[in-house]
Amino acid sequence: MEQDAQLVQRCLQGDGSAWEELVRRHSRRIFNVCYRFVGNRTEAEDISQEVFLRVYRTLGSYRSAHGGFATWMTSVTRNLLIDHYRRTKRDRQTDSLDDAMPVVENKESSARRPDQQALLNELSGQVQSALTRLSPELREAVILRDLQQLEYAEIQQVLEVPEGTVKSRINRGRIELAKILQQMGVRPS
Amino acid sequence: MTWTCDQIEVQLSDYLEGLLQASERAEFEAHVAACPECAPLVASVKNVMTELRSMESIEAPSRLVRSILDQTVGPREKVSPWQAIQNLIRGLATPKFAYGFASVMATFVILFSASGLSLRKPKLADLQPANVYRNADRRLHLVYANSVKYVSDLRVVYEIQSRLRQDQNELQVTPQENSPKSTPDKDPGQTDDRTHSQPKQQNRANEIGRQFEMLAAECPVVWERSFR
Repeated sequence: MEQDAQLVQRCLQGDGSAWEELVRRHSRRIFNVCYRFVGNRTEAEDISQEVFLRVYRTLGSYRSAHGGFATWMTSVTRNLLIDHYRRTKRDRQTDSLDDAMPVVENKESSARRPDQQALLNELSGQVQSALTRLSPELREAVILRDLQQLEYAEIQQVLEVPEGTVKSRINRGRIELAKILQQMGVRPS
Repeated sequence: MTWTCDQIEVQLSDYLEGLLQASERAEFEAHVAACPECAPLVASVKNVMTELRSMESIEAPSRLVRSILDQTVGPREKVSPWQAIQNLIRGLATPKFAYGFASVMATFVILFSASGLSLRKPKLADLQPANVYRNADRRLHLVYANSVKYVSDLRVVYEIQSRLRQDQNELQVTPQENSPKSTPDKDPGQTDDRTHSQPKQQNRANEIGRQFEMLAAECPVVWERSFR
């Protein structure tokens, strides 16, 4: 299989098929990062499109010496997710766990569509629901580490913070997630 | 117990990911084993980690790739309806499709003939399930009866042929039996009443003729088909 860096070079030379290959190769992963962060398929799809548009426009600025193409794409994704979070501001109150709980209760009491309820009945749906209640910096750290299985160095590169901060955020994110699930009455086994 | 609960919480992920030194690990486990607050916390975070890592990747919407490509490299070249039809026909003109089509048609013909539907006098009633079943059943019995009759006919023919072969073998007796023996003590033109080959052969021929007549009476059709 051709390396991402080679495909990028072909893209920069105007090869449309190379770009198509890059899109096909990374669209699912980027969509998953977005979906786990926002917890909504439509929003995740919109942000994924935005990510690829941004990548396409700034492809010339990618340098393979600075890291893998996938990590670079993840950085772009992360930046757009944070932008999206700031723009919407709808779950800003979930920054701390104590503040988040009243929001959780409101969300629980609000009417849900049957398909959403069915999803929540499954453990992974409940974990996803709990994930979206984490603060964005903890959420992104947990997503990158536990869902995308990135190394600490890669996460450090994506988040542009020291490794100690990365570890701390991942640790706090996991602990808060466990507490949220406990308060939701969910016990992962 | 040298570690505090706060230290346990800070080192929790390192412990779960196996990043602690052996001595740190021992102290961590010693505290957790004795602490009623830390033990459930460690267990629940471990379970959360396991659950997160076992969550399956979600399939992206099928339109996502197309949509991204449309917005970046532009929409693909549009084809006219006529070109679309031509492309479709070109796509269908493959051996794979031809074999598949022939197979479907053959199946259709077999089912159609088995169901007893008539194209010459099509009737709506023929399409009723009861009639279709009756026609198919009748066809099946006809096919079975014809098959039985055919096998029976074959058996008769085989029997006739084997009898003929047997009789021919008997007729073709060894030359020393059939050839006239020299009788030095007999005058030419005189019989000695000892060899009766001619009447014996005549009797055998008559016998075969009788058998043929008998068989012909038994199965005239086969007789006609086979020997006339």
